Order: sequence, then C-alpha cells, then structure tokens
Amino acid sequence: MDLALSEEQEMLWKSARDFLASKVPKTLVRQMEEDEKGYVPELWKEMADLGWIGLPFPELYGGGGFKFLDLVILLEEMGRACLPGPFLSTVVLGGMPVAEFGTEEQKKAILPKLCKGELIMTMALTEPSAKYEAKAVQVEAKAEGDHYIINGTKLFVNDANVADKMIVVARTAKKQHPEEGITLFLVDRKAPGVKIHLLKTIAGDKQCEVTFEKVKVAKADILGKVDHGWDIVKKVMEWAALAKSAEMQGGAQQVLEMTIQYGKDRVQFDRPIGSFQIIQHYMADMSIDVDSARVSLHKAAWMVSEGIPCRKEIAVIKGWLSEAYRRVTAQSHQIHGAIGFTKDHDLELYFRRAKAAELYFGDADFHREIVAQELGM
Amino acid sequence: MDFGLSEQQEMLKKTARDFFKTELPKTLVKELAKDPKGYPPELWKKMADLGWVGLVLPEQYGGSDASFMDLTILMEEMGRACLPGPFFSTVILGALTVMDLGTEEQKKAILPKVAKGELVLTMAIAEPHAIYRSDFFEVEAKHVGHHYTISGTKLFVTDAHVADYMIVAAKTKGGVTFFLVDAKSDGVSCKLLPAMAGERQCEVKFDGVKLTKADILGSVNQGTEYLDKVMQRAAAAKCSEMLGGAEQVLEISVQYAKDRIAFGKAIGSYQAIQHHCANMLNDLDECRCMTRRAAWLVSEGLPCAMEVSLAKALVGQAYHRITCLGHEIHGAIAFQHDHDMHLYFKQAVVGEASFGSSAYHGEVVAKELGL
Amino acid sequence: MDFRFTPEEEAFRKEVREFLDKELPKDWPGTDPDMYHEDAFDEFHELSMTMQRKLAAKGWLGLTWPKKYGGHEQPLWKQIILEEEITYRGAPGLDPYQFVGGMGDLLLDFGTEAQRQKYLPMMVRGEIKGATGMSEPNAGSDLANIQLKAELQGDYFILNGQKTWQSAAHRADLAPVYVRTDPNLAKHRGISIILVEYKKTPGITMRQLEMMSGLKAFNEVFYDNVKVPKENLLGEINGGWKIVMAALSHERSYGVMLLINIRRDIDLLIQYCKETKDVDGVPLSKNKLIRNRLADVVIQQEVARNVGFKLNHLALTGGNVVSTANAVKILGGVTTQRVAQVGMQIMGMYGQLGPVGGNWRQTDPVKDKWTRLGGRMKHLYLSTVCNTIAAGTTEVARNAAAGALGLPREPKPAPKK
Repeated sequence: MDLALSEEQEMLWKSARDFLASKVPKTLVRQMEEDEKGYVPELWKEMADLGWIGLPFPELYGGGGFKFLDLVILLEEMGRACLPGPFLSTVVLGGMPVAEFGTEEQKKAILPKLCKGELIMTMALTEPSAKYEAKAVQVEAKAEGDHYIINGTKLFVNDANVADKMIVVARTAKKQHPEEGITLFLVDRKAPGVKIHLLKTIAGDKQCEVTFEKVKVAKADILGKVDHGWDIVKKVMEWAALAKSAEMQGGAQQVLEMTIQYGKDRVQFDRPIGSFQIIQHYMADMSIDVDSARVSLHKAAWMVSEGIPCRKEIAVIKGWLSEAYRRVTAQSHQIHGAIGFTKDHDLELYFRRAKAAELYFGDADFHREIVAQELGM
Repeated sequence: MDFGLSEQQEMLKKTARDFFKTELPKTLVKELAKDPKGYPPELWKKMADLGWVGLVLPEQYGGSDASFMDLTILMEEMGRACLPGPFFSTVILGALTVMDLGTEEQKKAILPKVAKGELVLTMAIAEPHAIYRSDFFEVEAKHVGHHYTISGTKLFVTDAHVADYMIVAAKTKGGVTFFLVDAKSDGVSCKLLPAMAGERQCEVKFDGVKLTKADILGSVNQGTEYLDKVMQRAAAAKCSEMLGGAEQVLEISVQYAKDRIAFGKAIGSYQAIQHHCANMLNDLDECRCMTRRAAWLVSEGLPCAMEVSLAKALVGQAYHRITCLGHEIHGAIAFQHDHDMHLYFKQAVVGEASFGSSAYHGEVVAKELGL
Repeated sequence: MDFRFTPEEEAFRKEVREFLDKELPKDWPGTDPDMYHEDAFDEFHELSMTMQRKLAAKGWLGLTWPKKYGGHEQPLWKQIILEEEITYRGAPGLDPYQFVGGMGDLLLDFGTEAQRQKYLPMMVRGEIKGATGMSEPNAGSDLANIQLKAELQGDYFILNGQKTWQSAAHRADLAPVYVRTDPNLAKHRGISIILVEYKKTPGITMRQLEMMSGLKAFNEVFYDNVKVPKENLLGEINGGWKIVMAALSHERSYGVMLLINIRRDIDLLIQYCKETKDVDGVPLSKNKLIRNRLADVVIQQEVARNVGFKLNHLALTGGNVVSTANAVKILGGVTTQRVAQVGMQIMGMYGQLGPVGGNWRQTDPVKDKWTRLGGRMKHLYLSTVCNTIAAGTTEVARNAAAGALGLPREPKPAPKK
C-alpha cells in the first residue's frame, strides 16, 4: 500500500493552491455570490488554459488524460479557495457522462469545446420533490416522430443560468421499476421553451429552477440508451458526491488552519486562547475530523481512477464529510467567537458552503442508507 | 409555576438519604448482587415501618395517602442509593395497579399487607418476541367455561422470584386483560436471568395456570388501554431513579476532580475536566426538570403521554452520557469492580432499556405530535 | 498512490487466515486481544499459550527481530498483517507485551547484549508471557510521578512499593518495571526501567482486581524488598524517561487494534440484524433507525481504519508515526464505545443479559437461554469504558494533538505564596 501522492500530483496540488490563492481573493468570492452569472469568464479561460477544465478527459478531445484522483486533488484546492463558478457542474455533471457514455459525434461536438472553456454544462436531475431517487423523476419526455417533447420542472439545478448545455433526466416510459424508463437528453439552454429562474441559496451558489415547456429535442441528442438513462445517473451521482467531498475536504482543511492561527493570535485573560485546554481539545478533535477524512477521500478517488467499483467507499466519505465538515465549521465558529459571526470574516463563507455541500447529492442519512445497502442489510 | 419541592418532600428526601447512607452502604449493594434473593428482608421491613412501601396507598389500607410526586422524590433517593429489591415492582407496577383496577375485596386482601411489607408484587408484561408490543403478545388467557387458563412465557419480569403475586398482562379475545396470579400457583415457574447488575429479572413460564373471573384485575380487555398508563407510570418512576443516580455520579465526579492530583494540580483545574463536569451538570439539570414535570403530571392525573416520553427519551440518553463522563473523569480507578461508578453505569443501561428505550419513546412523541 | 496489497502481502494474509482456520477451535467467536479475556480465564490462558507456541513454530513470533536472537528478520509489513488478521479473528496468543510494541522492541533498542541473548530467544520460542509495570495509584496520566523505589545495593536493586492496573501480571514471566532510582532528581529524570522476572523473584505479591466487566485480569502488584540483579537494568540508570518517549514514538498499534477488533463486532451486529426478525416479522436490518445507526458506525470505523492504513504506510516508509498514532488512539476509543452503544440500542432489553466476559464459550445453555450473541454487546459495553482511558486518556491525547498543531502550552500556575 502506498498512500503518497506522485510528484506530478504534488506539483498539481501546489500550483493549484498558489494560483487560486492569488486569483480568488475572498472579495471575489463574495462578489460572485451576488453576481448573476456567478463566475468570472476571464478566470474561467485561465483555468481552461491551465488544462484544468479538460483535466480528466482524453487527450484525443483536448483533455489532459488525467485520472479522477488528480481531479480530486484539484477540487480540494478549489474547496479551500471557495472557488465560485460552474467547474464541478461542467466537468463532473456534464463532461464526464458525455466522455463515458456519449457517441463519437457527441464527444467530438462537446468535449473539445468544453476543455477549451468554451462550453459550460450541467445536469438537470432533481425536481421539486428534492430527492435523488429514480421514482422522483417525473419530468416527461414524450416521443413524437424523430423528436422528444420535454415538459416539467427541474429544481436545484446547479449553474443552469450559465450552462450552454444541460443533460436533462426525464421519464420516457412508466415501467414497473422506477429506475427503468428514464432517458438523458442533451438540451441547449437557449432552446425554445426552456425557462430559467435563479434561486437565492444559503451559499450564494447558482442553483436554478428550470421549466421545460414543450421543449423539442432531437433523438440524436439522447445520451446513452433510451429508457436506460438511470444507469448513467447512478454513476454521475457517485462522481458528484465524491467530487463535492473533495471540495469539502479542502474547505475543512482551510477552516482548521484558520482556527489554529486564531488560537495563537487571539489573546484573552492575558494569554492566547489556544492555550486554554478546552480550545486545544476542540482543535484536536477538529484536526482528527479533517485529517482522517483525507485518507478515505483519496482511497475512493483512487478506486474510481482504477475503475474499481466503490459505491460504498464513496458513500462512506460523503456520509462522513457531510457531518464532519459541518462539525468543523461549527466548532470553528465557537472558537472564533463573535468575530466569526460577521459577514466581514471568511469563516462564514465556509459555514454556509458546508451546509450546501452537505445536501449536495445526498446528505449523511442518504449515504448511510447506501452503506446499509452495500452491507447487504 | 413552582419548580420547588414542598417542605414535606424536602424532609422525605433528607430522611431517605440519611437512611440509605447508614442502612445501605455500597459494600452491601455489591454483596446483594450475588445474593439469591437480591435484597435484605430486614431492610424491606424497615422501609415498610417508615411508611415508604405504603406511601401512596390510601390511609384506609394502611398507607400515607401521599402523592405519586412524593413517591418519585423518594425514588430519586433510592436510585441514588442503588437500592436493590422489589420496591419498584411492588409499588409502581403492583400496588398502584391494584389501587386503580382492584375490587374492594382485592384491595382489602392485598394493599394493607403490601403497606406492612408483608407482600411483594410485580407485573409480567414483556414477552420474548414482543417486548412491550401488547398487540403481539402471545401469553394467552384462554376462557373456557368458568375458568381462564394462562399459558406462555413472560420475560424480564422484575423480582418475580420473590413476588407473592404477579399481575399478568395476558392476551384475551379482543385485547389484553390483567390477572392477579398467586406466584405459588401450579404451573408458574420462575427463572432468574443473567442480568446486568443487582436488579433481578426473570423468565416466568405459565403452563396452564388455572384462574377464575375473581382473579381478573379490572375488567376483561381493560388491560389494552391501561397498559399504557402502567408504562407511563413506570417510565416516569424509572426516570426518577435514574435522576437520583445521575446526581450522585456528578457529585462523586466533582469530588474526585477536586481530590485527584496529577501533574502537580487537582485534575478539576484542567479545563477539559471542568467542561466534562459542566456538560454533566447541563444534562443533569435537564433531566431534573423533565423528570419532575413528568412526575407531577402523572401525579395530578393530567394528560402526560408526551411529557413522560420526552423525559424517558432524554434521561435514557443523558444518564448514559453522564455515566460515561463520570468514568472518564475517574480514569482507571472507576473501571474496577471495587469502585461504585459501575453500579450507576449499569443502572443507566437497564434504565434506558426498561419500559421503553429512547427510540420507543421517540415514537410516542412523534405520535403525540401528530406525525 | 495504491491502496492495494501486493501479491506477496495477499499471500501471507491468506497463509495467516488458513493457519487461524486450522488452529482456532471451531466456531471461535473471538476474544479481545489486549482486553484481558486471555488473562481472566484459565481456559483461555491455556489456549493462548498453546497458540503462542504454534505461532512460534510457524516462525511468526519476533518476525522482524534479528536472527541472532532467534528472530526471523522478516519485513515489517508481515508483522502488520499478522497483527491485523489475529486481531480481527480475536485469536489469542500474540502477546502485545512482547510482540506488539512491547518488551521485544525495548530490548532491541535499549537492552544489553546479555539481556537480548537471554530473553529474546525465549520470547521467540513462545515460552513466556509478558506484562508491563507502569501505573501506580498516584501515577496514571502523570506517569512521571511514580514512587516505586529501586535502590542499588551491591549487585542488586532492591524494589519497594506498588504498581496497579497491571494487566496480565498474574500470568506474566517477565515485565519491564518503571522505578524511581533517584528521588532527588526532578521527577522524570530519576526514573529507570528494570526487567523483573515475576515468577522467579521472591517478595512480589499480587492482588487481582475485578474490572467492572467482571473480568479479573488486572492486578495490584506489591514489591517487598524484592531483589533484582543489576544486570536487569534496561538502558541507563535514571535514563528511563527517554525510553518511555522512544517507546511512544514506536507505538503504532493500540488504536488500530481497537479499530480492527471492533469490526468483528460490527459484522456480528450486521449479521444479527439480518437474521433477527422484529415483532412484525420484518428483519431488524430493514428498520430505518437501525440501518441509519449501524451505517453510521460503519462509516466511523472505516474512516478511522483508513487512518490506520496511513499509519502503517508511515511506519513502513520511516515516517513519523507519533501524531497519527495519537489520532488513531483517540478514534479507536471513541469508535469502539459508539459501536457498543449502538449494539446495546439494537439489543434493547436483551442487551442486559449475558455471562461475565460475554463469550459463548462461557454460556450455559440453560442459564443463558435468552442471552443473545453470547452477551457480547453487554460485555463490549462494559469493557469499552476503558478505551478512552487505558494506555493514555483521550484528554491527554488531545493535549498532545493540540501540541502537534503548534498551539501554545498552558502556562504553569504561579507558585502559591
């Protein structure tokens, strides 16, 4: 067993940290929370030029040919920096399913542009019922000649407001088993009948209500097989949960460092508060939460990279971090006292992101249920 | 709203505390854990003479007509003292039920003797598969002619091995009926279970035990609803016992924190230990409020399902936390049998499981909330 | 990065499993290594000594030790795998006081050639049982406060005083005992370590203490003018504290062993829930609350276990294990207690039942008719109380973790006027 990062991975990690530290000050993060688009196109282009957006895609399509573990290392730093924008949506929710399940035409049409930063993507999965379950897919896609007509409402769709293309998860047939009869469609945001409404969220990330009113989609824009789309969704859910876990890990690490520094700097009762035993014990617990998560995160990422089935391992880390990241930010707030509670301070950025991340592609209870299933219960 | 105890209750509490300090040292408690009977008859007699066994019974039966609330104050001290023996079974499960459901004849036959300490009672509720789910009870009282015949196995029956009478919650056509069964009846056999600590729990087998209508306590099928009341009373009283134990755990832990020196100073001056104690106190205060409120509602005969279940759910979890911290503060010394702490640790386990776990009572709360 | 084991490692793991399949009694439910079962019951102690000799015959005792002392000079990864497999199966016989961060390592690092030649071979042959003499009534967390005196008189040290909480002492042949050789030096500077042969040395009496779990496996040990040859001094006189610190920096196993051992109990609980039906005929494993709670402890255990793998990786690559080992110790204590709590919750009323030691081999089919899982959960619940206390309390461990984070130390109190 070798748990060390490769030299290349160490370099990627370091360069990402440096880049994001200089290019993504917290003032920008706050700006983007209020901004309608939620990202800076020039920065997006720079990340594309660095090869980040194309990182996990085959070189044949303009990608970097890297593995999921490498993406995770990058995502950790993005989480640390609170990078705003549609990176996760574009790469994991959009690009990866196309790369894995798309036809040659679809891959050629989408991936090179995506890698160059010229195409933003997302997936429209959840609906007002807000469940990550097959039976919650009610948005209909009716076959009509050589088209499908999509009707219905999707909710909590990440970055739909800036996505050029969306993978829409719709029901094409009502079968006995809800997982059957679901099809994925590549839909242009600007297609007639698509209406987007930006939601105001706790973390200032761009989540949208997307309504489909008689939206026409060509058969050629089906991703994967008709009625068998849920197989793809299951994979995307795993990737997304793991990718988000990486962001959470990076964020938690930053929170820990911030808190340690505060413990050293802040003086009360004539001594640094970090010299009080209870503060020390809080931080010891925080550091254990953060450090222990990293190994499990890398294990799952490595397994994905190696193509080893890892539904349980992904559920373990997302389940764990869903609570651990929240714990760490809450504990950090406790240690920071009032100052952490102000909008001026960076900590509350992480606190809000921890909550949003907790809910993203399944909270702790959701993933515990997956673990229970994987244990044969 | 008055959260204080009355002068009488304060006196009862003090008397009981002093009594147990002298009469029931922990060495005796530990000895009794190995004793087949599980309690000293002399102590039982003394408690009867003090009027404690008959505390809530009407004066006409030799009792003191005190309230359920008064009783729970006494039981707090019993929990603190880790009192072994059939007080809970006799009074909470037995006598109070007879008082509510018994005919004048039954009451006259039983209650005065109970008050004098001459009769031990208990109730057989839980079953191996159903535990407290009376809708799944299998112990059946078959009605044939003028007789009822009870067959089946009850489990976790407290103090059955020393009881004179057992109130058996048996399935009848249409519900559950209580039967007052002489423990010496033909067909009743009792076996002690290898339980946690000093408390005595038994498997009781009923093999064609013959009873008549006169042995019914209350009316046929009255048990279905009344069992809820029994569970409530028992849960509330169990909270009181646990509360008393929890108070003692906090006290000895704080004392230890003051006395024990490590690295040149009392461990109670280390903030981590201070916060452990503070957290224990927090939990304890909540337990006290919830327990007393629940007990008062039961005492006043007011609707109390929600409050009792809130208390039991809370106390079960909180007492576990309190005993864990108590152990943590004491370090290795309390890990051995010689120390008293494990008596409370085990008391917490038994208390949590008995008369409905936190999950069980959480369900009740959910129902009461209309969920 | 690679989370796989090499074919060689897998092969050795298979070999150990097959050995255990063959040598353990049929349906062996597992005891708790280093949690006192072996030392509390004669039957287990005998089995433990038998297993120890069998392990010796396989060449698995002193796996990494130099050949010149009878060791086998095998790579550390083999030792790690041996420990893991034995722990998961709850197989007795790999004495932690000798072979898992115990005396063997101390002798190799600090012993004289004569000491090594004398003791290591008999350990490798599986002939003796070890213990360790550290704690005293006033020296728990504050280990430097030990008072047991050792005065050098001619060719002997004369020991007077008392030790406590000594696990396995009543079975042990040999133990390193922490003594005060110079009361005039600062506390931690006047400490030495002396190897004491318990069974062969007069003046030592022991009083077995009963744990709250009912097991009688630890002891008070009294030294009354006990004469120990001066050749048994380990390291330098008054240089014991350095050895303690070095031992800590090697200590890798305690927390990991807790985490591996508890997985057996988790798997037991999962199996129990699948096989046991609730009152309405539905298996417990379908109960939403139980699924959630069990999955939660599985997640905790797996995350913590992965940190254990990181610890192994550090040990195998010569990294610093101290702070990771510390974290694993904390995780081990907390996780095992949580499993016990969930286990008791699942058992409900049945959780109260069971014989002392909670092992089916002790259960009486008549007396224990209603006992489930041999009373394992009850025993676990009572015995895991010490997991946040023994071998270093969680509170002290957190102090150390905070120190590793670079947090400032608590100021010393002003001297009393």
